[in-house]
Order: sequence, then structure tokens, then C-alpha cells
Amino acid sequence: MNRNYIFLTILMLFLAVGTIFLHKTEKLKQIEPDKLLWEIIQPTRYVSTDHVAKMIIQQDPSLEIIDVRSEKEFNNFSLPKAINIPVDSLLSETSLENFGIPGTKIVFISNDDIKADQAWVIAKRLGFDGMYVMRGGLNCWMNTIIQPVEPPEYAPLTEFATYEFRKGAKLYFTGAKTENTETKKVKVMVKRRKKTKAASGGC
Amino acid sequence: MGPLIPNGIIPAGWDFVIAILLGIIFGFLLEASGFSSSRNLAGVFYGYNFVVLRVFFTAVIVAMTGLLYFDYLGWIDLSKIFILPTFLWPMIIGGVIMGIGFVAGGFCPGTSFTGIAIGKTDALFFTIGLYIGIYIFSLAFPLFEKFYTSGNLGNVTLTDVTGIPASWFAAAFTVIALAAFWGTMFIEKKVRKNIKEYKF
Repeated sequence: MNRNYIFLTILMLFLAVGTIFLHKTEKLKQIEPDKLLWEIIQPTRYVSTDHVAKMIIQQDPSLEIIDVRSEKEFNNFSLPKAINIPVDSLLSETSLENFGIPGTKIVFISNDDIKADQAWVIAKRLGFDGMYVMRGGLNCWMNTIIQPVEPPEYAPLTEFATYEFRKGAKLYFTGAKTENTETKKVKVMVKRRKKTKAASGGC
Repeated sequence: MGPLIPNGIIPAGWDFVIAILLGIIFGFLLEASGFSSSRNLAGVFYGYNFVVLRVFFTAVIVAMTGLLYFDYLGWIDLSKIFILPTFLWPMIIGGVIMGIGFVAGGFCPGTSFTGIAIGKTDALFFTIGLYIGIYIFSLAFPLFEKFYTSGNLGNVTLTDVTGIPASWFAAAFTVIALAAFWGTMFIEKKVRKNIKEYKF
């Protein structure tokens, strides 16, 4: 019997049994760091408040708004059909079910866009696609959609068109308030002519 | 790091260049292992030569154990490796046909080409038959297309099916292979006593 064979057999056996003791730490599925950094510096993830408003008004079925503020803030005010997933519970299993559905566009919103951006980075790192951040967050929403400012006279026509849209959107989101018809009771001042004194004099 | 092309370390256009290089190495190693001789190859069925079993089992267990260590060290990501889809019954039938062809013809497709490379006449005829077979298969394909694509289990591994970690399979298979190496050595000795030495 060849000695080399015996040696190789023992070596192979040792290596093969050794694989059983390799304990790999379970790594989270995530995208490559350089790809993530590349995605982070792209401004394409931002969508304007006007765009989001338009999608809500058109009842775009692909839109999924995820509000990453705290539950309390969410209950105070939220956009229609928004789902509340605070940043700290973003990685829970029930939250992750909302991501990665083909054909949906997820828009993260928060008060400004910082927290929403954080949520976007976390979800992006997990490899999900089709996610956006609403530029300026709800503060910007208030300033543009709920209280639109009329552009100055010299502004380009497109700004006026946006303004018109925002005025319409405002009506959609706040409800078209009917003018208060109950006018104040106006006191009818009856001016009485002073009674002329009885005709004096006479014939 | 690996796999190199899916991870973008090597551009995808290189796959054919790599295929040619690996093909040359594979052909050379088949020839060097004595796989260009149909007597060697068919010997495994008659019990006088188990070189096929030894070479293939060695390749399998070294690659298998090596890949597990590579995965552990982070040199290759096993989850990104392409796994051939499993068609249960078509594969069993295909294996039986392949086995019959192997023992009857004395070659498998790859080894018949190494046989031609060193000028073996039987390998040449085997290859002619191979192409006729491919031609008939292509023409008759519509007849058994349904069976050909039936029983698709998808890109499954043994770990997916049984839930037992890959390393246990690797260890068990290695033990079986090593036992087979030593076992066949004794069978060879016994059988060879009764036959004359043959030319490769």
C-alpha cells in the first residue's frame, strides 16, 4: 500500500470533517458598500411634494407612502393612506413585508427629509428597489400644498401652473370650504326723520 | 470576492475565454488520468479498473470541501452560484441511458474527444454516433418534450430538500468516497488476478 495514499486519505477525511465545525455567522443579505454609496449620492430618489400630491389625487395604485415618524406624530397628522413605520421598527418582520413588492413605489416621508432619508438608506442597504424620499418632508408639504404661496408676477408661467395645481390640491386635501353664508346681522339703522314740529303758524 | 463574473470583478465578456482555457485544462487532465482509453473507462463496470470512480470522486470531494472552506473564508459566495434545475424523472431516465451508452460505447462525450485527440479509432466512431444521436434527438424532440420538462423541482440543493447542512453531506460523501477508494482497490486486485494485463 502506498504511503502517500494513506496520508492523502487521512488529510481529506480531516478536511471534510472539519467543514462540519465551520460556523458561519449568519450575514444579513445586503448590497455591496460601494453600490450603496453610489446610490446614496444620487439625487434621483427625491420626489417633490407636488408629485406625491398628484399621485395621491390620481389614486395611483402603485404608490405606497411610508411615514417614518413616531406613532404619536402620525396620529396627529398624516397623509391619506400612509402607513406608519417608525425608523426604529423598520427592520421588524412585519414592516419588511411592505418592501420589495414589484410595481410599487414606496415614498418615505417624515417631518423633514432627514429621517426619511435614514429609512431609505437602511432599506436600500437591504437591497430593496423602487423607493423614494419626499423632498422637504411634511414641512415642505405644508408650505407648498396646504399653504401655497402665489408666485411673483415676473415668475415663469410654469410656476403659475404649479401654483394653480397646488391650489386645487389644497382643496382636495383640506376639503373645499364653503364660504360662511351666515352673515352678521346688520343692524338696520332706521333713521327716523325728526318729526317736524307741528306746523306752526297757520293760516 | 467570488463568483468573479456576477460580482463584476471580471467583465462578462470573458466567460468564453475562461471556458476555452478551462476546457483545455479539463481535456488535458482527462487524458492524463487515462480517460482516453475505453478499456479504462469500461473497466469500472467489469471491476478490473476503477480509475474513473477514483478520479471523479477525488475531483468531487476536493471541489466540495474546497468550496465550503472558500465560502467560510469569504472568497466565494455560495448563494450566488448557479445551480442546475432538477427534473427528477427525466434525470433518472437520462442517467440510465447515459450509463448504458457509457458501458456499450466505452466513452462518455468528453472523454471521446480526448480519445480522438490521441488518435483512437473507437473514439472517432463513438463521436460520429454521438452526432447522429444528437441529430435524431433534435428531430424527435417534440415527441417527448412533455416528459423532458416534467417534474421540475427548481434550482434546489440537498440542503434545501432535507434541511441538513451542506457540510454534513460533504463529510458523509467524503467518507463514502474514501471507503470506495480502498474498497475498489481490493476488488481490482481480485479481478485482475484472472485477467491478462491489457494495453491502454
